[in-house]
Parts: sequence; structure tokens; C-alpha cells
Amino acid sequence: MAILVPMYQALLTRKYLTSKVMPLLASLAVLLCTTMVLVTWSVMGGFLKTLLASGRVFVGDVTIAWPNTGFAHYEELLKQLQADPAVEAAAPAIEAYGLMGLPDGRTETVKILGIEGSSYDKVTGYFDLLWWHPQTTPLENDVRREDPRLNPDDHELLARTLEQGKTLSRQEPPGGPERAGAVLGIEASGFNRRQPEGYYAPLVRSRRDSSGGEEAVRLFMPANGWITLNILPLDTKGRAIEMVTARLPIANEFKTGLYEFDRRYVLVRLDELQRLLKMNAAKRVARSEGPSDRAFEVQVDPATGEERFAAPDETTLVEEPARVTHMLIRGKGEAAGGDPRREAAKLKIRCEEIYEKFAAKHPGEVPDPGVIFVQTWADINATMIQAVEKETALVLFLFSMISLTAVFLVLAIFWSMVSERTKDVGVLRSLGASRMGVAWLWVRYGMAIGVVGSALGGVAAYLIVLNINPIHEWMGRVTGIQIWDPAVYYFTRIPSEVDPQRAAIVLIAGVLSSTLGALIPAVRAARMDPVRALRFE
Amino acid sequence: MSGIDVKNLHKTYRMGRVDVPVLRGVDLRVEPGEFVAILGASGSGKSTLLHLIGGLDRPDRDPKGSIVVDKTEVTSLGPLQLDRYRTREVGFVFQFYHLFPELTVLDNVLIAAMIRHGKLGYLRARASLRHKAQSLLDRVGLSHRLTHRPVELSGGERQRVALARSLMNDPPVLLADEPTGNLDRQTGRVVLDMLLDVRERSAGRTMVVVTHDQETAARADRVVRLADGRVAVGG
Repeated sequence: MAILVPMYQALLTRKYLTSKVMPLLASLAVLLCTTMVLVTWSVMGGFLKTLLASGRVFVGDVTIAWPNTGFAHYEELLKQLQADPAVEAAAPAIEAYGLMGLPDGRTETVKILGIEGSSYDKVTGYFDLLWWHPQTTPLENDVRREDPRLNPDDHELLARTLEQGKTLSRQEPPGGPERAGAVLGIEASGFNRRQPEGYYAPLVRSRRDSSGGEEAVRLFMPANGWITLNILPLDTKGRAIEMVTARLPIANEFKTGLYEFDRRYVLVRLDELQRLLKMNAAKRVARSEGPSDRAFEVQVDPATGEERFAAPDETTLVEEPARVTHMLIRGKGEAAGGDPRREAAKLKIRCEEIYEKFAAKHPGEVPDPGVIFVQTWADINATMIQAVEKETALVLFLFSMISLTAVFLVLAIFWSMVSERTKDVGVLRSLGASRMGVAWLWVRYGMAIGVVGSALGGVAAYLIVLNINPIHEWMGRVTGIQIWDPAVYYFTRIPSEVDPQRAAIVLIAGVLSSTLGALIPAVRAARMDPVRALRFE
Repeated sequence: MSGIDVKNLHKTYRMGRVDVPVLRGVDLRVEPGEFVAILGASGSGKSTLLHLIGGLDRPDRDPKGSIVVDKTEVTSLGPLQLDRYRTREVGFVFQFYHLFPELTVLDNVLIAAMIRHGKLGYLRARASLRHKAQSLLDRVGLSHRLTHRPVELSGGERQRVALARSLMNDPPVLLADEPTGNLDRQTGRVVLDMLLDVRERSAGRTMVVVTHDQETAARADRVVRLADGRVAVGG
């Protein structure tokens, strides 16, 4: 095609492009629109992608759940799942709600997750989420190396803290016996300040020492912090038993990057939470429900052999197996390169089959397969994912509409340029250029401006997306306005990703818009009467 | 050799709601290789006649007139044939030079060849075409100005570039509309000398020059005077 384009058009397009301010303005219009759409799409796409990835942070690929009361014989289900070739790993867990009392007297509502560190890690990569660990390389933006985890003096403490996080326990007092502890989300206590460079700095408070002077105290929760958890256990029938209060040492803190998780989740050792919620294996007193079908019964006194009427004994001691509310499962499919959502859906079907067999072995003891919740991570987060998908589509639609202004801007600028170059059109026609040739000259010119504007827009968008968080932080410092509020947008940092396919679509659309804008002025130029064009003043 | 035969040519322009007849039945014969100067008062239709001969404009359909250039009935050509006719058969020189300000002197001349040959043809003959353009510019005394832009040239130099451009495709007919009208007497004389030199070097090139200048007219083979849209003298 390019070889068939007349030479004079290539020459004039090149010369026109590098002359005067008009083509610069047109390119700028295309650049701005391309940048705007590309940045929006990248941020929203990155947002969705991060959301999808985060959706699995705490649940793995598939969960089998019976909330509140939980289900028994989970060890057996766990073995069956682990033996299945489609399953990479499985972990039992308990999910509960509670109130968390903090050292400064604040109380927060939290979601409590009971887990076994190692099995949970195999399903979710939990160990990688533990924030406090010795760090040797600084975070990308931490050029001044101010991340406290980099301090070699603290590395011993941090290594111990990492181990505490893995086992969800802390030696209390230091050097003493291990105590079941809690791992908080990094934003949960409010004692860690997120820095613009991406690291967290524990708060430092001053307090008076014995001599009356002031000393600085670092509020590093995994070293000496405690929380109080208030939880309401439920029995197997779902009835509240009585509020349990437990004081737990903080073992470590985790960061998922998903603000809601980092703010509201507390991880506790599974056995400890089972004990607190009375979901551990134990002999428990079972009281029969409602009016007895026997108003009275005849009892024989073993000593005298005398028979008498007596109220029936309505409490019995029963052996109750341990329970969990969730079984978290990670499949092998994604590791083999499959699409996460599709692989999870396949795994879900397999888990349903496994649970069906498991339930058949324990009729009446575990929830029926028809009522148990077997869900993929996408099912669990469906509302949130759909909302963001819809939001992405809506924002893109709106910005694309706004970008249509580029077409009109180019049209207006080209209209003016064609007027300015009326004489050139006359000369070209006098030299034998055809109407089509003249039209193509302007269309080609529009296309060239689109290519230049789109290419520069692509570069600008790439640079903005790459530095979106520093830019946002800089804007926050200068204007005092924080546009990206983690509490609203889930994530502590603005997620973004430059998808080459999307970039290509936007850049092509930029070129097409510019070409479209040049089309009407091109037709006008082609239709010009050459004599009038030559006489144009 | 191309002669020009114009018969009963009418041209009316519409100014708002009023029809303004400019040519009212022009009959003119220009012999092959002849240099004809067309004189006449402003508005007498000189430039219009030139534009019609050059295929830039079309005459009235009624009454039907005709322009025949070397056996080609210009008035009956379709749009593409007319483009081709302008590329190959005629060369224009305008009063106000009409050069492309962004292009260099050499490119201003070469653009005529680019339009004629198309991309492939041009690229194939690029070296010889460049050489030809340079020779033409050399002939008009501008070989030292090849890379200059029109804004860096004097009026006379610009007109010489325009002359070289008009000759680039070797048209058998050269049409000049007041070629010295925008130049001082001395510069005009130089340009006129070059026009005549061109004619001498390419024997048989027909030249029609519209002018107000008596000196130009005096050097023509024949003078045609237009008055009120008709040939008053010399047709």
C-alpha cells in the first residue's frame, strides 16, 4: 500500500508535519486522548487483575464451607482431598467474627481466621505475606533504604518474628514457653505508618521514664504487643454459647495489599480458635431439645430395688469430634498454565464429587452435599469482581466518548489547515494531481498526526502508569488531596499494568480517530475548484 | 508539435445570484510552436481563457464551445483524463509563483515529476529526474539555490523556480499568467528572456502568455487582444 502512495503526498505530509504549530496542536489532542484512555484502562485493568489475584489470597482456588457451626471429620476430608490428583494442597480453617481490643483501648470489629501455618501456606502462599522478616534488598522506591526491615541490628528479632508468624505463636515471656498468638493485618492495629516509599514504620511514642525524662518507645506489635479477642462460640445447632475473651500475643503482621484484608483480618492458630470456639474434639454435655416425649419414667433404686416415678434425665455426655468451618483447596491446573477462573471451576466440580463421597460416609454428621457451600474464589468474590468489571467498562466507555472530542479537534484543526493551504491545493491540481490524490494527501496527513500523537501518547501513558504511585503521592503532597483512598479502593497502592494488546487497541483507535477527523477536511480540499484555490487570498 | 484551437468558448461565473459572463464566444487559433501574447483590460477574461486551455476550469456547456490541443478535445475529457492532460500536456507559470513554502527549490521542481510518474515511476527514475531538475534550475541560473526555500529567494528567483517546475514534465504547451506582473522591469526582463530561451531550446513548444506588459507583448509572435469576453484583435 505504502509503495503505491504517490511520492508527492509523502513529501508534503513530511514537510507539513514539521511546520508551524497546527500539526503540533492536532498531535497534542491525539496524545492527550490516547494517554487518558490508556492510563484509565491500565489502572482499571490493573485494579481488576490485582483484585482477582487478591481474591485468592485467603481462600485458595476452591473452598468447602459450612459457616458458623462448621463440619466434623475434616481430617478425613483433608486426606481425601490431598490424595486427589487434581488437588495441589488443602488446608482446614475456621472463619469467625469478633471484637479486637487494642493496647491503646480501641476496639475494632474483625474477621478471625483460624489456620495451621504450614498447610495454609501451601494453599495460599501465606509465608510470603508475612511482613516482618529480615530484608536485605530495599523496596523499589526505597532509595534511601529507610525500611526498618533493612536494619541489620534488627535482623535477629525479625528472623524470630518470621518464625513466630509461621507458627502463629510467640514465646511469652521471651525465652519462655510458646503461646498461641495472632497475626494481624498490617493496617489492623493502626500502629504501623505506611510510607510513600512502600514500607511500614512502627509508630514511636514517647513516655516518661523513672527519672522523669522522656524516652521513645517503638510500638512494634510482634515484639511486645497483645490484643484481646472477644468471640461468640456457637454450638452444632448454631446457638450462641457464651462470649469468650482471649488475650493473645502478636506473632507477626501480614500484608496482602488488599486494604480490606489488611485492615480487618486477624489470623489465629487453628487449634487455639477451635478451643476458643469450642470446636475442638471433646466430650460435651448434650441437652435434649424441647419437651421430652416421656413425661416421666419408672426408675429402679439399685439399692432397694424399689420402683418410683421420676423426671427423665435430659442431659447426656457425647463425644464430639473437632470441627472447622472451611476447607481451602488449591488445584494443580493453574500451575500447568490454565486460566485461573476456568481451572477453579473444574476443581470445584471435583471437590463436590469428593465431598459427596465423604458425606455419604457420615450421614447425619456432616452437612448434606446439596447444602454445603462449594465455591471457587471467583464465586466468593463475584459481587466485587462484577462491580469492578462493570465499573471498568463504564469508565472506559465514558473516557472513549470524551476521546471522541479528539476527532472533532482534529477536524477543526484540519479544517483550518486546509483553509490555510488552499493555494497549495490549487497548485497541486494545476500540476495534475487528482481530486483523490489531494484528498488522500490530507487523510494521510491526519493519519501521520494520529501515528505521532498516539505513539507519544503511548509513551506518556507508559511513563505515567509506571510511576502512577509516585505521581499520586507527589500530587497528594502538593495539593493535600488523596485521590486514591485505600479504604475505598481496597488496595494500598494504585494497581496498574500495561497490557500490550490493550495498548495496541488504544493506539490504533487514536490513529483511526485522527484519520476520521481529517476525512471531512480532506473531502473539502478535494472538492475545491482549482481556479478559486489559486486565486485564494 | 501542439497547436491550440479554441472555438466559440463561453464562460459564465455565478456571483451570488447574478450570472457574470466572462467569455462570450472566444475563437482563437495558436499554431504549433507559436508564442502568443494575450492582452486585455482587467476582467476581460484573459486568465479565464488560459485556465480553460490548461484544463483547470470547464467552459459553459451551452452554448457549447471547444478547445482542441494537439488533436485532444480538452472540453470533452473526463476528470482523470483532465488530470493527466494537465500533467503531461501543459505547464503553468503564475503571476504569484505559487511555490510550496515548505519545500526546497529542488523539491518544488521535482514535485511536478512526482505527480506525473507516481511513486514507483518516480523512484525508478529518481536519479535521472533529479538530474533533470538540477539542469533546469541550472538553466534558470539557480543551481546554487537547490536547498533553499522559497522564502529565502527574491521574486525573480521564485519565478524562475516556477518556470523550471513548469518545464519539468516537458509539456508541449506552456501557459503563463502575468509571469512578469509581480516583478520589477529589470527582473521581469530577465524572466522573459528565460521564457524565450526555453522556447528557443525546445523548438515547437507552444506558448500562451497573458500579460499587461507591452514589452512582453512586443516580443511575442502574435498579440491577441481580448475585450468584453471576445477576441477583439489577432484571433
